[in-house]
Amino acid sequence: MWAYILRNVWQRLILLVFVSILAHSVVHLAPGEPSEVDPSNPRMKPEDIARIRAAFHLDDPLYLQYIYWLRDLASGDLKSFKDSQPVLPKIGQRLLNSLPLFLLTTLIVWGLSFPTGIHAAVHRDSPFDRSMTFLSYTLISIPGFFLSYLVILGVVDTLDVPVIGMSTFGMDEAVPVFQWMDRLWHLAIPALMSAVMGIAILSRYVRSQMLEVIGQDYVRTARAKGLPEDVVIYRHALRNALLPFVTMFGFLVPGLIGGSVIFEQIFAWPGLGRLGYEAILARDFPVILTLNFIAAVLTLIGTFVADILYLFADPRIQIE
Amino acid sequence: MSAAQPQTMAGEAPEPDLAGEAPAFWPTFWKNRMAAAGAVVLVILLGLAIAGKVLTEWWIVFDTETIRLPDKFKPPFSEAALGVISAPDAPVFGRYLLGTDELGRDVFARMLQGSFVSLSIGFVAVGISVLIGTALGALAGFYGNLRLGIITVDTLIMRFTDTMMCFPTFFLILTVVALLPPSIYNIMIVIGLTSWTGTARFVRAEFLSLRERDFVVAAQALGVPEIRIMFRHMLPSAMAPVLVSATIDVASAILTESALSFLGFGVQPPYATWGNILADGKDFIFDAPWLFFTPGFAILIVVLAFNLVGEGLREALNPGLRERRT
Amino acid sequence: MALRRWFLVVPAVLLVALLQAYFWVPTYDQQSAGNPKRLLKYIEASAADAKILNPILNADTVSSGITDYVFEGLLGADQDLRLRGRLATDWAITEQAYLIVRPDKRLPDGTPVSAAELKKRILDARDRGGRSGLKGLLLAIDVLHPETRAETVVTPPAEGKPAEIRVKVRVPERLRFSLSRVDQDFFSRLEPILGSGYLDGFPYERHVDAEEPGARAHLHLVELLPLAEHNPVILFQLRRGVRFHDGTEVTARDVKFTYDAIMNPKNLSPRVSDFEPIKSIEIPDPHSVKITYKRLHSPAINAWTMGILPQHLLSEEALNAETENLSAAARAAFGMREARFNRHPIGSGPFKFVEWRDVEFIHLERNDDYWEGRPELEDYYLRIIPDPLTQEVEFRTGAVDYYGAMPHQVARYLKDDSYQSFSSLALSYSYIGYNLRKPLFADPRVRRALGMAIDVDDIIRYLLYGEGERTTGPFPKETPWYDPAVRPLPYDPAAAVRLLEEAGWRKNKEGLLEKDGTIFEFNLITNSGNPARKNIITIAQNAWKRIGIECNTQYFEWAVFLEDFVDKGAFDAVVLGWTTPPLDPDLYQIFHSSQSGPKQLNFVAYNNPEADRLIIRIRQEYDPERQRALAHRLHRIIYEDQPYNFLYTPRTTRVLDKKIVIVERDAKDQERYVKIYPTKGGTISYYFNKWRKLAFTPEF
Repeated sequence: MWAYILRNVWQRLILLVFVSILAHSVVHLAPGEPSEVDPSNPRMKPEDIARIRAAFHLDDPLYLQYIYWLRDLASGDLKSFKDSQPVLPKIGQRLLNSLPLFLLTTLIVWGLSFPTGIHAAVHRDSPFDRSMTFLSYTLISIPGFFLSYLVILGVVDTLDVPVIGMSTFGMDEAVPVFQWMDRLWHLAIPALMSAVMGIAILSRYVRSQMLEVIGQDYVRTARAKGLPEDVVIYRHALRNALLPFVTMFGFLVPGLIGGSVIFEQIFAWPGLGRLGYEAILARDFPVILTLNFIAAVLTLIGTFVADILYLFADPRIQIE
Repeated sequence: MSAAQPQTMAGEAPEPDLAGEAPAFWPTFWKNRMAAAGAVVLVILLGLAIAGKVLTEWWIVFDTETIRLPDKFKPPFSEAALGVISAPDAPVFGRYLLGTDELGRDVFARMLQGSFVSLSIGFVAVGISVLIGTALGALAGFYGNLRLGIITVDTLIMRFTDTMMCFPTFFLILTVVALLPPSIYNIMIVIGLTSWTGTARFVRAEFLSLRERDFVVAAQALGVPEIRIMFRHMLPSAMAPVLVSATIDVASAILTESALSFLGFGVQPPYATWGNILADGKDFIFDAPWLFFTPGFAILIVVLAFNLVGEGLREALNPGLRERRT
Repeated sequence: MALRRWFLVVPAVLLVALLQAYFWVPTYDQQSAGNPKRLLKYIEASAADAKILNPILNADTVSSGITDYVFEGLLGADQDLRLRGRLATDWAITEQAYLIVRPDKRLPDGTPVSAAELKKRILDARDRGGRSGLKGLLLAIDVLHPETRAETVVTPPAEGKPAEIRVKVRVPERLRFSLSRVDQDFFSRLEPILGSGYLDGFPYERHVDAEEPGARAHLHLVELLPLAEHNPVILFQLRRGVRFHDGTEVTARDVKFTYDAIMNPKNLSPRVSDFEPIKSIEIPDPHSVKITYKRLHSPAINAWTMGILPQHLLSEEALNAETENLSAAARAAFGMREARFNRHPIGSGPFKFVEWRDVEFIHLERNDDYWEGRPELEDYYLRIIPDPLTQEVEFRTGAVDYYGAMPHQVARYLKDDSYQSFSSLALSYSYIGYNLRKPLFADPRVRRALGMAIDVDDIIRYLLYGEGERTTGPFPKETPWYDPAVRPLPYDPAAAVRLLEEAGWRKNKEGLLEKDGTIFEFNLITNSGNPARKNIITIAQNAWKRIGIECNTQYFEWAVFLEDFVDKGAFDAVVLGWTTPPLDPDLYQIFHSSQSGPKQLNFVAYNNPEADRLIIRIRQEYDPERQRALAHRLHRIIYEDQPYNFLYTPRTTRVLDKKIVIVERDAKDQERYVKIYPTKGGTISYYFNKWRKLAFTPEF
């Protein structure tokens, strides 16, 4: 058991090194210079640019740059090219902004997918099932930004309230309850928008898992025993259908960074996705690399936890 | 949750069993009315795409390039101002079927041209991803225990797959597309290169189980070359789930392209894609709503059709589900 | 079954909890109309965030927009784009010129050269007046004794060159001339007295020794010991009693500190080249600053519009206090770039910094202590909204007072009664630049023909909705350097074809232009993210196709565009724009032939000796009238050569709520409202400190 966990952790650490090296090579070998070194600024002379390049180690060999990056990351001295601010606190701040959005989105996705998915599976081929199927496929198929714009314009035009940003501007003097509710509202719309696709996919998946399980022998046996239908479905079938979802937690986490670029851009949400996008545009290598690194760490932790959970949840798995 | 997500999820989903494939496939497929509708839409779209290629590039009936500034932002079905623009510049029938854009170009012609480009992005990207995914998955599944120095082939390939899965997909696509010189091929390749992990995983799983089947064991006993076993005997049996996920991946590749266009990294002129018509059109939503809604709904319908057909294929290929249906 | 109930209750509660929040949110009406405090806030939307709020370190427009409010420079531009005093009340420009006495030479009448003889003759010439023009110019002559100077020269990094060279300069006897104004022709005025060969063939190498053998070859000897040297001098008088936001008075020491901070290599200031011509800064008293320049460089004075930093907050000691908790390595690397100040700036401008929340907003409040009187608005916010459509939504609902509207949006607002709009020429122009290294574009007739094939008036009319003007040269249209007599290229495709025929291009069977078996084909590129440029390349492609030219278009992301194409000179033609500084007509970096190397700004490789000569003369000329005449000649030459097809200067159109007005106060503090109007430089915010939003819509 412990040997399994240890080996698992060890493999993941090696993986992490490979991921970071790969990311480093991709970013540094591609064309484009950090924008502080932008030679299009008529006031910058070649000497100034050379000085800045030297300060950023841009002319050193790749492996040295990698080592510098790793060293600075470990010591916490890593600084953004763009504004010389330390990278980690910067990412931390954005993480705090992204987290509520991410958590709420996840909550909505899981909270809505299971009931609809199960209901659709139980009442297979009913009008509910058919319309949910069609609806979820429609939602999967809408470009996210297209739907968001439709919703924003709809809300602004009909309800006359703001939806952009993390809170209504200039609410500093309002009563705290109003401020909290205002923040919740600003959270609700983008969270719903980013949840749309997740709900559609997950509810389909729940449905198919449930169908699979309902067809199994032990469910038939449970029914034959004369157990009430609800007990059969929600106690016997659901428990077994849930198993594969454990692994999905692992793949959920990177969504925190990469999944939200477009919604954060549209809703002016100061989160991680936008940080990454802006860093890419400005060729802010330390930020891009660190974000990628953190995403990899999160994924690896996520899949690790999923593996361990699976271990406990599924008695059929044996460890050699 | 991004446009790129379905790939991961779809990679988990298809689990069809191949035992009784041939006889009841088409009847089951056609019985699913939504899938059937989707298939009809796709056939029409294919026709449109080919017509688009032919009529806008080889035998130019619908002119996508001519700029008619005086006729900018004409709503759908409006007539061309023949007095202001010269006769050779006028659109076919003298009308703009879907209106004109900011430069007075014919939106209908551009949508027609875009249908071919958008579809080919979807198909080429998915082709690349299927190729890589199947090859790696098959190798890992078949030669899983072969040792190369200290690690097995399976470990090597699957660790590499894991490495790729550690990158947030859309973020990775964005990084690469932003850094590379933009061209339609780069976008196809990048989408393809970042979306094969799911395919690789389930092809491997399929091969692992096929390896133990009687017909494979028998072939090996008969001394059939391994390559032949892999490609002639096992691969066709493993292709069904690949087909299902590929259909759905085409849909998500089209969505990914539109998302990239939205962020300004999409396909470049002279190629018109639905994604970049939509992204350009959003700035004019109050002035020329058709520039926003036409491509938006076109993408919706086509992606929906792909998804429904994928779902129909899955059901038709999965006898377990079929049995219970009857 | 409990679980089943939960499955119904949880999502229902979740959705209700989320959607009920709607009832607590103020509507747009409540925000903008029912809120008297809102009238004293000015909210601007911007797509990008600021990077660093330090006037000597920032290089982006958003950051400098904020630092312009927080910091105050010695000088500023007035409504007619002339310099006016801000922290400085007064300034005088004089010159000190130096001339080495050369005993090896003889004067025209054969007398040996000596310091006393030279001084006597020159003073005599001045007193006689007449053609020498020295009268009123030359104030005094001093004789400087020989001296030896030790110096360390830092050379630009390059292969096989020492980075620092220690040198010893033996300066011979010199004459110092004090001049009442800067005169680049001063030494040619002396030529009749000195004789024609005096200024040539000076044996520099006899006067300069490098410590390391062989290093002398890398030195620029003329710069170390000029035979004849111009040193312009500016004497600033500072305004008394101006305070930084923390209450400390602004003095000459802060000015010198700001200069030192820019020149400190550790700070990596992007403004070094503006201040590099400075030889020395002296502080005769706390309220005057005397700046001596190494050489003639008339644009140098404009650098003093940059904000002045408070010394007491950024000096070594102040920075050291910040590094206490850092690791040794981090402390060693700590410089002004890392200072907390850059995110909490303190200046002496009309607005004080309050808060900066990353990619959300920057908040400033008015400086009640501002020397010119406190601003009318209480708060200034810069909200960061990346998406143009959401910006528009926020503006239309009154949650934002200003955003950079696109031309088609402006056209829509103009029809709306509740908005006022101002339109004035921007300080920028768009152009198509041709890579003159390519033989295809070597012939000026070809470039002219390409320009004539494009209907720029149509572009202005339909793409800019009339918000733009044709331009014909590199100077801003509203400045005196622009010569309005130069007429724009006409739109005439037929004449363009004739010009191309003259240059040897004939139409072939397919209707394409051909010469010596090759067809006329090239790539036109631009950067992505700029809708106007994207449209221009499409329009140009279409227009050239009509006269038989194959043009392929592509756009690239900015960083890639610069590095792979522009910097390497690896392009055929580009669509780009320059912003044109309104205060000086210096074109050295963009059009001088010496600036066409890799990564330099004359990337089209324009090369015209006459233009080069004029560019140099303009940047050495301190007299506005003569500068104007030179600039007009340069304008015409560049126009004739058409290295660029100059397309248009856009008009900056700003749309504001009609309720925002200028508040004028008379002696009795009675308020009077004036409609906002733009100044010559295209800014409406010149009177920003007097802006206020009224509760009603005023009638003018």
